[in-house]
Amino acid sequence: MDLIMDNKIKIKSNNLNVFYGQKQALFDINLEINQNEVTALIGPSGCGKSTFIRCINRMNDVIDICRMEGQIQIDDKNIYDPGVDVVQLREKVGMVFQKPNPFPKSIYENVSYGPKIHGIGESKDDLDQIVENSLKRAALWNEVKDRLEEPGTSLSGGQQQRLCIARAISVNPEIILMDEPCSALDPIATAKIEELIDELKKTFTIVIVTHSMAQAVRVSQKTGFFHMGKIIEVGTTEQIFKNPTNNMTQDYITGRFG
Amino acid sequence: MTKEQRLKKRYSAEKRFKAYGIISVCAALLFVGILVFKVFSEGSGAFVKTAIQLELDLSKEKLNLPEKPTKEDFENIDFYDFAQQHILKIYPAITTKEKKELLTLFSSDFEYEVKDFILSNQNLIGQKVFFKITAASDLDQMHKGNYTRDIPEERRKVSNFQLTIYDFLLKENKISKIFNNYLFSNGDSRNPEIAGIGGAMLGSFFSIIVCLIISFPIALLAAVYLEEFAPKNAFTDFIEININNLAAVPSIVFGLLGLGILLNVFELPRSTSLVGGITLALMTLPRIIIPCRASLKAVPPSIREGALAVGASKVQSVMHHVVPLAMPGTLSGTIIGLAQALGETAPLLLIGMVAFVVQVPGTPMDPSSSLPVQVYLWSESAERGFVEKTSATIMMLLGFLIAMNSIAVYARQKFEKKWI
Amino acid sequence: MTNDTHIVKSYGEELQFLNDSIIQMGSLTESLLTDSMNAITILDKDAVDRIVQSDKKINEYRAKIDTQIMTILVKRAPMAIDLRVAISALRISQDLERIGDLAKGSAKKIVPLPEDLSQTLLDSLKRLGNTVKNQLNKTLDAYIKKSKEGAIEVIKLDENVNELTYLSIKEILNFLSKDNKNLEFATNLLFVAKNLERAGDHIRRISENIYYLVEGDYYKK
Repeated sequence: MDLIMDNKIKIKSNNLNVFYGQKQALFDINLEINQNEVTALIGPSGCGKSTFIRCINRMNDVIDICRMEGQIQIDDKNIYDPGVDVVQLREKVGMVFQKPNPFPKSIYENVSYGPKIHGIGESKDDLDQIVENSLKRAALWNEVKDRLEEPGTSLSGGQQQRLCIARAISVNPEIILMDEPCSALDPIATAKIEELIDELKKTFTIVIVTHSMAQAVRVSQKTGFFHMGKIIEVGTTEQIFKNPTNNMTQDYITGRFG
Repeated sequence: MTKEQRLKKRYSAEKRFKAYGIISVCAALLFVGILVFKVFSEGSGAFVKTAIQLELDLSKEKLNLPEKPTKEDFENIDFYDFAQQHILKIYPAITTKEKKELLTLFSSDFEYEVKDFILSNQNLIGQKVFFKITAASDLDQMHKGNYTRDIPEERRKVSNFQLTIYDFLLKENKISKIFNNYLFSNGDSRNPEIAGIGGAMLGSFFSIIVCLIISFPIALLAAVYLEEFAPKNAFTDFIEININNLAAVPSIVFGLLGLGILLNVFELPRSTSLVGGITLALMTLPRIIIPCRASLKAVPPSIREGALAVGASKVQSVMHHVVPLAMPGTLSGTIIGLAQALGETAPLLLIGMVAFVVQVPGTPMDPSSSLPVQVYLWSESAERGFVEKTSATIMMLLGFLIAMNSIAVYARQKFEKKWI
Repeated sequence: MTNDTHIVKSYGEELQFLNDSIIQMGSLTESLLTDSMNAITILDKDAVDRIVQSDKKINEYRAKIDTQIMTILVKRAPMAIDLRVAISALRISQDLERIGDLAKGSAKKIVPLPEDLSQTLLDSLKRLGNTVKNQLNKTLDAYIKKSKEGAIEVIKLDENVNELTYLSIKEILNFLSKDNKNLEFATNLLFVAKNLERAGDHIRRISENIYYLVEGDYYKK
């Protein structure tokens, strides 16, 4: 278990309330996420964890009936201010989805797409370098370096997810959001990605939604328990799994309800 | 009912169902087979033409050329006279009537055939060469066996004297069937033996090209806008209903539209491939928009989310990721729409492509016909020689349609390979 | 403590079974300690064999409980209260086994003793033994009830055990000083006293684990 360092706050939600039409999905969420740490969000299905992280990179904007009140601050700036450019926000905040969704293009193009559209890599050499670095950091380079032109969809499930991670980090974000990244993968692939997360937290701030308490314990330093759109308990992962203060938290993580 | 009886019933029901399917397929194949057989048996004759062999004496005296002939001298040759002389030599014809009958065994274009031959083979001047001239349509049909000889002369197209010459030429091996190049190189003509579909083919080709250039980009962008960007409200629903209805509108209505607006208001030239193309484009637009929208809808949202999450704007996510994935369906729809347009007759009739056009069009701005219109025109004609040509045209049309649909299948497969 | 049952029924049953196993092991240990003290106080040398056999059964229980705990850890990855149940069961079974060993060891020590040994010596040991027996009884009760008050009481009363041990040892040394011939007997009696004190320590540790199980933290005075 890593020592919890006094990291500064990277993401902060203030009185966040989210509605889908008339139905309220999140109630008064106040949560702080520290830099260079992995924060796990746990809770039963439909409790609002995915809704919450989709607010952090404003992916909920594409859903017409989704409406939010309150603030989310990244580095003390509210990302819902009218002047904020969503495209630039998403350069800073990357996302990895539950089901691996590589583009149906070559492996190289998957990773080079982001840098290209943001103008990060101009020359072919620049892009080659970025692709190689990203794939190396995603622990995928050795497996694909000889077949970068093959389609991304020809890889196995675990490799596809690592490709998606490489794609996310290719634009050099500061935050990576992961929505149940391992739920569609086998145990070996899961283990590889968990190891990768441990390595990545040195450079990025990571928020991971997970259904597995064991996984939360393995990868995260801080855990938040969501239930029916509210935060029930937040604390260090160690404290939550050894001795949670709230009975509902305990009942959930021991499998007495969920 | 016992279990075994029930099982037996199920199996026999399955067998019956399979049998129905096979019967249906066979029935369909039977109909197609009958059609193809009829068309092919009638149309195959059009690909050959009867030709009569002449021995041409290309001496300078006969051609009235000086020792060192210039270009102008060649242009001034009286080819009609030259050819006529040689024709009259092949069989003794004494009376004027007989001479006329001898001459009319040959295609009315015979002087031009000789002219083209001599002008392009000037090195043969001074020699005696064999040259085949196209036979007239009646002789052509006779030789192909479409006329019987057993009816009285008044009811025959070929006179007794002509028949004698024919038999003589047959014995001398001077009559043969050769490949009918006129079918592809010539435009329409009153004389069946030199009539060709070259004009109609180019006319159709230009029309389709114009149709494609106009309809594809507009349809694609319209579908993309309606599916990805337009707000979902009553107005866009209204547009969608209308597009669906337009796809079912009878094509002749588009002909009226073309006539009223393109010809009368904009005063574009009548009977041209340009106008035909525009009219067909209007008709094809909804037929491309609908499959394109369906393909766009079929692209899973995970692709869009993946692109947005990496920082692409909405437009980038749509154009770089969604549209390429919708291409197989869009292309299929486009080519099927174009294939339908290729076979359209009614709208083209109204905008004037029914005119009798002899010249093979050089550009889309020239007046032209189109393949289905040509079929219509020739099928109305009384001349026997046009029957096989009509069927040949249908064969060409079917050939093009099969080719275009094969391209659609191939293109779809090629794009889908990338998708998996 | 939560009363809701686990969604996976077999998980709840496994934890319950573990709980019951500890209680059964505890009650065997209690009987063994009682038998051992009875044998010591009336110098019943025939009982020793029977006591040795009983201790073997306790050791078997320990092995069985170990396997149950390992299975739960691997299968269920227990969290929070369930984790503490498993960990404390591991420690408590270890302590119970040690108590069994000590009781058996004490009983074996009476074999060479003479029949006419002074009753006062045995009386002080008897008192010590009763106190330890009570501690064990109370701690097992606290385990069954998952009572932190019960556990605290046992922890605090360990002082008494230490004092009574001290008194017993003084008397035994007294007995030794009277006659050197008594050296061997005295040594044996000293061992018995020491064993009882150590058994008391193990019992205190069991209560500390019960406190940890209930509170999630260690008992601080």
